[in-house]
Amino acid sequence: MLSIKKLKVSIENNLILKGLNLEINHGEVHAIMGPNGSGKSTLASVIAGNENYKIESGTISFYGKNINNFSPDERAMMGIFLAFQYPVEIPGVSTINFIKTALNKIREFNKKKPLDAVGFLKTMKKKMNLVKIDRDLLGRSINEGFSGGEKKRNEIFQMAMLEPKLSILDETDSGLDIDALKIVSNGVNKLRKKDNSTIVVTHYQRLLDYIIPDYVHVLIDGKIVKSGNKDLAIELENRGYDWL
Amino acid sequence: MFKSDKFTFDSKKIKDFINEESNSFLKKSRNNYLKKLGEKKFNIKEEYKYTPLKQSIEKNFSLKFEIEKSISSNTEKKILPHIINDNNVYQIITLDGKIINKFSNIPSEISFKNFEDLDKKEKNVLNHHFGENDDSDSDIFSALNGVLWSKGLFVYIKKNQIINKPIIISNFYTSEKNIFSSQLRKFIFMEKNSKLSICEFDYSLISNNFNSNVTEIILEDRSELDYFKIQNDPNNSTSFNSTNIKQKKNSISNTFTFSFSGDIIRNNLNISLIDENCYCNMYGIYALNNKSHVDNHTSVDHMQKNSISNEHYKGIMNGHSNGVFNGKIFVRKEAQKTNAFQSNNNIILSDNAKINTKPQLEIWADDVKCSHGCTTGQLDENAIFYLQSRGINKDKAVSILINAFFDEIIQKINQNIIKDKINEILSTKIESYLNER
Repeated sequence: MLSIKKLKVSIENNLILKGLNLEINHGEVHAIMGPNGSGKSTLASVIAGNENYKIESGTISFYGKNINNFSPDERAMMGIFLAFQYPVEIPGVSTINFIKTALNKIREFNKKKPLDAVGFLKTMKKKMNLVKIDRDLLGRSINEGFSGGEKKRNEIFQMAMLEPKLSILDETDSGLDIDALKIVSNGVNKLRKKDNSTIVVTHYQRLLDYIIPDYVHVLIDGKIVKSGNKDLAIELENRGYDWL
Repeated sequence: MFKSDKFTFDSKKIKDFINEESNSFLKKSRNNYLKKLGEKKFNIKEEYKYTPLKQSIEKNFSLKFEIEKSISSNTEKKILPHIINDNNVYQIITLDGKIINKFSNIPSEISFKNFEDLDKKEKNVLNHHFGENDDSDSDIFSALNGVLWSKGLFVYIKKNQIINKPIIISNFYTSEKNIFSSQLRKFIFMEKNSKLSICEFDYSLISNNFNSNVTEIILEDRSELDYFKIQNDPNNSTSFNSTNIKQKKNSISNTFTFSFSGDIIRNNLNISLIDENCYCNMYGIYALNNKSHVDNHTSVDHMQKNSISNEHYKGIMNGHSNGVFNGKIFVRKEAQKTNAFQSNNNIILSDNAKINTKPQLEIWADDVKCSHGCTTGQLDENAIFYLQSRGINKDKAVSILINAFFDEIIQKINQNIIKDKINEILSTKIESYLNER
């Protein structure tokens, strides 16, 4: 599904990713771990298409198509979803209208009819339960006044509504207490299907107790230095990153 | 010839013009303004610091011009597209200040007339108050208007009278050869406990029109006025506007100044809260493009205690446009327990756009709550990326953010038909912004 080959990425003339390779197939959960500054968030942002990052060389292919030059919205319509580490607040833009607009854009791209108000509300109700998100929160402006946990749950709620093929969770666990973590992980797990995949970017092993990865990759200094299964995460927890 | 700061006037022509005024009180008034023009030192450098006065305004001008006795079919054709056919509003059309009854429907409960059509009682009211409440001591264009105004509009609402439907006034200017002849005067008097909403549009039917409007408004106890000014003239006129409101106790004024198009626009808004317990909201939106220059100079004077003023202007500048905001707040010694808030937020979309913003507070009382804040920045790139990452393309994302920015002000409009019109104009404006990216 996703194929990254020899990817070199820079921002403001600093090279962050220095030749990264990654292959992701359907139905898989991949964890990306690494110390601060290793390039984890850069990887997440670049797959989503953040134009502040420059691809110096290498390719990102999604379903066989080279998406290096695709805009973030084109990638979203193809089925890529980024759950942000620090979701931005957008005052004056209603959360519900925003999600409805996004959902219908994606449906239109996939040649499906747009959801009307009733259909949308039905779908919304179902997915709200998944992450235990309050109706009042959704009535507000995007993320405005949301606590850290609420912001993260809102990300997963959007993920549930948009049904992406590839979700990238960028340090979704940062700033969450155990209860919030359980709710978020539960939501993510419930959304797993045979034909979708997830990249979990995380610093700590704790999240991976709840979202169990098929593969774990360790990113150090812009390159993946080791890959393994979920046991690798536990080993890292015990031995630290210096071990590598 | 005499010179007044930047302008040269032919005093004989002016004296002849004044002598044609049939109302003796008004003739005296014009002469007083002429004296002011000759004697006062207008601080143009400071008051018009960021609004350079164009060369064309400095030329000599002719004072005689003809207002069409009956509207030509050509003019009618130009006016018709702007007429609002809606039972939820009262519609009034003026041509160079003259009310065109053919296209207007005036509510019978109020008096809405040109000065020359006033009855004796109304004339007394006008003579009693006219000229007392404007900024002609500090603004040269107001003083000039006081001498040269060619048509006056008189609006009077009796006590306890409530007009529920908004009155939409569309003002058309046709004066071609005389850049100074679109000088108009408005006088609005609201008796106790009355309620009115007025929405004005200005359209020039020729290019390079210069129009000057000085409006004096008196709100008696407990009266309430919603006053909208919508500046979206496709013909790029130069427009000077001075709106002056004097509020007595327990009265409420909500003013909305929306500027979208024009060559040079200067809006003076001066509110005097002369009694206790007054409430005034001053809202403004300016969404500019090309070479538009819009200058909003406001002042609110808290003269007695317990009044609340709340000012919020928001602007977006694109192309080579310029925005100017200068908000003055005066709180006199007796005005204890005043609450005065002022906020000005600006977004710059292009490298060549500019904003100059300046709050000015003079506070003499010591038990007050006053705040002012002003921001200037660009659209939040992180917000744009966030919206894009959900499948919303960049143009739509920019459009969403601009709507969100102005929505805070638009939400304050109670009259749906006006709110819809503003959203419609804004939509077109945003499209023009996107086409230039």
